Amino acid sequence: MKSKQMWRWFLGVVGSLALLGPACAQKPPLYTHWENFTTANGMPDEKVLSVAVDGDRVWAGTENGLVLIEKGKIQKVYKPEDGLANRVVTGIAVDPASGDVWLATFGGLSRLSGGHFHNYTNLTSGLANDITYGVAIQDEYVWVATTAGTNRFNTRTGEWSIFSEKNAPIQEPWSYGIAVAEKKVYVAIWGGGILEYDIAGGYWKPYTDPDGEMEIVLFKNQGLIHIIVSNIAWNKDTQMFWASTYFGLSGYDGRNWHNYLSMDSGLASDFINAPKSRGDEVWACTDKGLSYLNFKTNTWVTYRPNAKTGRGEIVITAPDKKVTTMETSTSLAHNYILNMDFQGDDIWVATATGLSHGIRETTRESNKEGKVHEHTTASR
Amino acid sequence: MSAKLTTRLRRLGALAGSLVLASAIVATFGISRLYAAQAGTPSAASASQENYLTPVELKFSHDGTKLYVVCEDDDSLLAVDVRTRRVVAKVKVGHKPKDVAVSPDGRTLYVSNEWDDTVSEIDAASFTQRRTFATGWGPVGVTTDRSGKVLYVANSMGNDVSLLDLTIGAEIKRLASWRSPHHLSLSLDGRRVYVANLLGHLGSPNEPPVSELVVIDTAKQRVAERIEIPGVLELRHIAEAPGPKGGYLLVPFIRPKNLNPLIQVAQGWILTHGMAVVRVAGTNGATQTKSSVTQILLDDVDSYYAGTNGVAFTPDGRHALVTSSEADTVSAVDTAKLERRLHQVPAEELANRLDSAREIVERRLETGANPMGIAISPDGRSAYVVNRLSDSLTVVDIPRLQVRGTIDLGGPKQLTQLRRGEQMFHAARFCFQGQFACATCHPDNHIDGVAWNLETPQLGRDRVANRTLRGIAETAPYKWNGHNPDLETQCGPRIAKFLFHSEGFNTTQLADLVAFIKSIPLPPSRHLAANGELTPAQERGRAIFFRKNCDTCHTPATHYTARTSFDVGTANQYDTSGLFDVPQLDRIVQRPPYMHSGEAKSLEELWTTYNPEDKHGVTSDMSKEELNDLIEFLKSL
Repeated sequence: MKSKQMWRWFLGVVGSLALLGPACAQKPPLYTHWENFTTANGMPDEKVLSVAVDGDRVWAGTENGLVLIEKGKIQKVYKPEDGLANRVVTGIAVDPASGDVWLATFGGLSRLSGGHFHNYTNLTSGLANDITYGVAIQDEYVWVATTAGTNRFNTRTGEWSIFSEKNAPIQEPWSYGIAVAEKKVYVAIWGGGILEYDIAGGYWKPYTDPDGEMEIVLFKNQGLIHIIVSNIAWNKDTQMFWASTYFGLSGYDGRNWHNYLSMDSGLASDFINAPKSRGDEVWACTDKGLSYLNFKTNTWVTYRPNAKTGRGEIVITAPDKKVTTMETSTSLAHNYILNMDFQGDDIWVATATGLSHGIRETTRESNKEGKVHEHTTASR
Repeated sequence: MSAKLTTRLRRLGALAGSLVLASAIVATFGISRLYAAQAGTPSAASASQENYLTPVELKFSHDGTKLYVVCEDDDSLLAVDVRTRRVVAKVKVGHKPKDVAVSPDGRTLYVSNEWDDTVSEIDAASFTQRRTFATGWGPVGVTTDRSGKVLYVANSMGNDVSLLDLTIGAEIKRLASWRSPHHLSLSLDGRRVYVANLLGHLGSPNEPPVSELVVIDTAKQRVAERIEIPGVLELRHIAEAPGPKGGYLLVPFIRPKNLNPLIQVAQGWILTHGMAVVRVAGTNGATQTKSSVTQILLDDVDSYYAGTNGVAFTPDGRHALVTSSEADTVSAVDTAKLERRLHQVPAEELANRLDSAREIVERRLETGANPMGIAISPDGRSAYVVNRLSDSLTVVDIPRLQVRGTIDLGGPKQLTQLRRGEQMFHAARFCFQGQFACATCHPDNHIDGVAWNLETPQLGRDRVANRTLRGIAETAPYKWNGHNPDLETQCGPRIAKFLFHSEGFNTTQLADLVAFIKSIPLPPSRHLAANGELTPAQERGRAIFFRKNCDTCHTPATHYTARTSFDVGTANQYDTSGLFDVPQLDRIVQRPPYMHSGEAKSLEELWTTYNPEDKHGVTSDMSKEELNDLIEFLKSL
């Protein structure tokens, strides 16, 4: 009797593995459960422009204030009346050493420390312009992307430096995003490509589109896809930077470029607001959903809400272009994605109608959750 | 051989024998230098050099047998044997030492050296220096964490706090404090470090000042909270009440009514002195989740106790002792009565009530000149007050609340003119009812960071920002309107009539005071490289400075002032005249706010906001990059 039960159990396990096996091989861990923070449950504005995770804390910059989320709840909304430089919070960086939160806003740079704001504006400091889009921390330096150039603020000496077309190899001063690497700082210039700053040497190196402003990729390793770069991210694990443009996704490993267009990959759209990357993961925040690339396996996953059903849609594009779609009961708040950040295995996503918390579940749970429809698309 | 010669030889022999014996003692007890000073017998070497010690801070050894005393003018740390009341050891440290911390195991001492930007690590047993650590700019307050692995250093010039890893001997992070942090204190449970900022926020001169107490979480090593203390300046020492009824902090302050005409000093209440009672959220001193602050004054209605500075609780928590550094007094506060008073009077009233002291102060005790820090023995029987300008410690018998005696730390006994002048600078007795001294509004001979309605009886008229006294000897005339041709005029009749409402200083005293003020040096520049070379940005800024003819009014040969007045379009609706004395630019970066009115909170604002007609130099054609370079050059001066 006992041996019969054992035998049944063994067959059951083997059978389950046989059923799950093909799906496991294709699919990376998926985000099948979404919790959304919108104006319906306390967000001060539907448009979330930026998000940054600091341990258990999640900071979200909206068009109408800064939001602190902790323990699954909105704990505090900061507005200009609380001292914030401006209601539009476009970029967030948490200083890993001090815990101070630096905020790029449309009214200057804010520093939130111990619950109080200290602001830096064009009139009160060396900030190049009050319209700021991005902020990043490099040791004691705070880098700020502004419409009049890139600022570097030395928090110890108080020195402000401005890098613009006057003293750096770019034609446009309009900086959108900043990423800090171990030895370099990368700046995304809207209309000017990418600027690489060598920290030790103190010099700049530009990366631009070799085919000018043509919105095509002539060959795979041609260089940056386009000079309209909306943001940039550094992956310390692979030592690569990833740049989002309005015409595709570009990655550079120091020797080769890795360019992706929606026409020949699983990328949801070529209009990308921001990239993010760690390990083998590359994420693209597009106007048509949140796309994920496993750089190692060339597997793509796109998350977006289904406008008709209101449910979540997951589109998996395998390396062989085979496309698998899944439905989930919960979804991203919107398909227009502006930014994202990691919190352990989870992700936080800034969208046009709220902040979405993506909870990563195991592959087995993903298969249980998802209603799988598989088909192959020739165009991929 | 004559009898006289024989006597001399005998004396020499005795002296040699004594030296051998002294050497043997040093070798035996391992003390590097046996310091011979004792009560009433200062060392001859010190006297001949007229090298005052100027002790500023003191801490007890954990076993309560020694006091470690920091001497800022002698660049030294002393060890005082509490039982014999003698200085038993001395070690030289860096320049302008300000504070000392004792490691949790009691074996190591850390001394902050304000003008060297270093901390000296001292072996407590041998009293020798082991290592020196680099800090931020102007290190003053120091404390270790509970483990003794991390040293917190308040950088007064850098406006931040350095965290030094004592294992590797290097800074690991720096936290913003905002405005001249001076004193630090580790909470009794070791979970927090409190930081008191000497100066208030840079705010509107039309509003009362706001000061800030910073709370650092020692586990996360991050700023957990910034507690605002409205209406006050010059937060000094921090003491935490022990015991089950404790948990709250006492932080001495001054409470200026700088928006009122100072000429009303005769009516009193212009500058009061007291302490903040702070209940920090998350501690047993707080009943709510939010920190709270109540302010209570230590002045009497007709007699003020200026310069509240040091504070310490007795181990049983029954008394808090508070020094008044410009009234040469230590006040013993009955904490039970303090608690009662806090409950009886609404907090919004209490901050301005001058009848609290008679309720809560049990005794006023006279100290030496310019008392600063205070330390209470672990057995709770004695308190020791460091008298900065007497080179001594006042010993207080706590059970009797009486002065038990004085410990002379050494140093010359004769008072030089400069020392007399400095004592007067710190003495509130020259002011009507002892309301304030020169030092009250010029802490560390510098600024208090606020604008004052000084000499005009009309409310709000001709309000002017406080000006530094550092390095001003050759910058006459004085005052923002340039009406005082010399310091004798500035500090003599003017102060007597408009500020002190008293007879002021007599001729000799005035000469002493002026001599002292003229001797006040400039602190080192932190923005200029040690070799004097300018950075590329400073070089570019210098070129702009001369190209824009800034040197016409800010003449480099005379401390960057033409020593006359100009109208550069900075007058506001409250000013009678638009002519203002050209301020010298030496260390200009160290003294915001700017302009006569104190309206410009940063150097940038001088040109971005307060130069609309290009009268303060033609600057509207400058790019932001050029302005940044110009400011970098100004910082180097």
